[in-house]
Amino acid sequence: MQIIEREKLDQMIQGLKAKYGDDQSALLPILQDLQSQYGYLSGVALQETAHALGIHPVEVEGVATFYSFLRTKEKQGKYVIRLCRTIACDLTGKARVARQLENELGIGFGETTKDGLFTLEYTNCLGMCDQGPALMINDRLFAKVTPDKVSQIVEDCRQDFLKSDFPKVVPSFVQKKGPIIDHGVQPAQGLKAALQMPRPDVIAAIRASGLKGRGGAGFATAVKWQLAAAAQSDAKYVVCNADEGEPGTFKDRYLLFEQTPFVFDGMTLAAYVIGSHKGFLYLRGEYLYMKDFLEDALAKRRADGLLGKQILGREGFDFDIEIRMGAGGYVCGEDTALIESLEGMRGEPRNRPPFPVDTGFEGRPTIVNNVETFVDATLIMAKGSEWFSRFGTEKSTGTKLFSVSGDCARPGIYEFPFGITVNQMLAEVGGIEAKAVQVGGASGRCVARKDFDRTIAFEDISSGGSIIVFGLERDMLQVAKNFMEFFVEESCGQCTPCRDGNVKLLEGIELLEQGRCSVSYLNELVKLGETIQLASKCGLGQSSPNAFLSIIENFRDEILGRLPQSV
Amino acid sequence: MAKILIVDDDHDFVQSVTSILEATGYDVSAAYSRVEGMEAVKTVQPDVILLDVMMDEPDDGFTMAQDLRRGGIKIPILMLTSVGKVSGMAFGKDAEMVPVDAYEEKPIRPDRLLTRIRELIKA
Repeated sequence: MQIIEREKLDQMIQGLKAKYGDDQSALLPILQDLQSQYGYLSGVALQETAHALGIHPVEVEGVATFYSFLRTKEKQGKYVIRLCRTIACDLTGKARVARQLENELGIGFGETTKDGLFTLEYTNCLGMCDQGPALMINDRLFAKVTPDKVSQIVEDCRQDFLKSDFPKVVPSFVQKKGPIIDHGVQPAQGLKAALQMPRPDVIAAIRASGLKGRGGAGFATAVKWQLAAAAQSDAKYVVCNADEGEPGTFKDRYLLFEQTPFVFDGMTLAAYVIGSHKGFLYLRGEYLYMKDFLEDALAKRRADGLLGKQILGREGFDFDIEIRMGAGGYVCGEDTALIESLEGMRGEPRNRPPFPVDTGFEGRPTIVNNVETFVDATLIMAKGSEWFSRFGTEKSTGTKLFSVSGDCARPGIYEFPFGITVNQMLAEVGGIEAKAVQVGGASGRCVARKDFDRTIAFEDISSGGSIIVFGLERDMLQVAKNFMEFFVEESCGQCTPCRDGNVKLLEGIELLEQGRCSVSYLNELVKLGETIQLASKCGLGQSSPNAFLSIIENFRDEILGRLPQSV
Repeated sequence: MAKILIVDDDHDFVQSVTSILEATGYDVSAAYSRVEGMEAVKTVQPDVILLDVMMDEPDDGFTMAQDLRRGGIKIPILMLTSVGKVSGMAFGKDAEMVPVDAYEEKPIRPDRLLTRIRELIKA
């Protein structure tokens, strides 16, 4: 690198430091901006960034090589085509689109064309599961891509499509509205109501509603907020987990676009309750196309006095929200990994305890809640606890947004009360003939027909919102294989059960595919799966064998003794 | 003699504190959850409440203190907990979120416990 180029690079890094901060928490956004400027992160760029932030170059390289959207080896093409390879797109013909992309570009996945125009990659869920197969070109989404559309898309790129008016946003299909989607509440109404109440009363209202976290784990929101509120600290943080990476989940995409004020109202009222002045919305890298839209929404809130100093005229209540982009990493949806990522580290989960609520961002009390949880909290403040708790079951109050995809007549977003049976849900979505339903995405469980009368609720089958329907013709071993490939790719590699165990499970699936797996070996694989559930460090590892184990349990007859030609 | 209500889900702790307080001459009652505690406040009408934080829920003590104050009950509360040690967080008296009269981390020496109780009764 010539001296003049190096000086230019240094100047850019200094500018980015001024914009994002001068500590390690600024590392990820700085690397993301450098990559978009230079096409990749060269060794020199990594070293200069390390020097500027006063951290060791090895740490910077460790971060740069952790995230799938950051490139350190070769310059990426002007157009980075990322094709979704997760299960819902797989069910809708991803393989043929992939083949046609390779044909049109003359390269394989993971390669860049010689003219430097195109890079072709696989990516995990783009949140377009109801409109697959989906691909993303830079920050633009393409839904329902067919092999014959591929050549046109490639040609549009050659004609410099970034200058065209191609819409960035693909609409969401809301198939069934309920009290959360069709709420009739005005923006800021819930926030105003909360700010008129003493902080303990807000928590009491959330507690009375029975609201539990909508990400899937189902921790009581009021307890989390109460502990953070009661803690004494010089700083506290509110984090909205918009890292919607669970395959088959796309309801947060809808909420972020269509219910934007209510997400930010929820974050702001949470800040009021716990005494925070700073919030982060951690947006997954695959949702880059939303960033400008959300930044505009935040700017409008600042202009309207809903963010910044003395919000709604309340003395001492200062709060602002910053959007931080993920860079490709499913594990960052786990709240401690998300916090690591916010701090500019590799997105590796922490040991628990301590929990984020006591030792979160920069060691301070931090609440991390799902997008939907913030919306629900806002509406509870506007409409009351009883309004919310009259829906659902005793232990799982309220309604839940579900992202439905796969083999059904009407994929899209549905709002159902907790306690709905799988059968009732299938009737609504037009999938009554289903052979199985994956509830809760890759980390959820595969529910077979015999269990279709079970309910979706925290006390029965829990779900963060992903529902993938499998029709009668689906090969369940291929489904299990897709999920295991996903976890092998997405394991952060920190702990052995998850890092190595999932590779072994995938090898076992490949043996099953070839019809070369004995029952005793299959039983060993099941034991291994149970060990992974027990011994993994974080939620990702602990839930990674769920799909495999439930498919083996429910479809053993279909899977054993295959003939090679049936593969 | 003054009445003391202990609200704590740790039966061993309740038993040992009860014997210390009874030996000193206090009239001691116990409840083992937030719900039982709220009920006992009405029936016992204690002069001082010893309140744990982590019971069925990890924030039950905070919730109970807030609920009592919201209900206009001003009985002195000595929060006696290891929540700070367990969670690594710093807690303490806070007029709004932790509306108690005194806050002590467990374990506590018996003489200090008796001193704090005497102070609260005098106040």
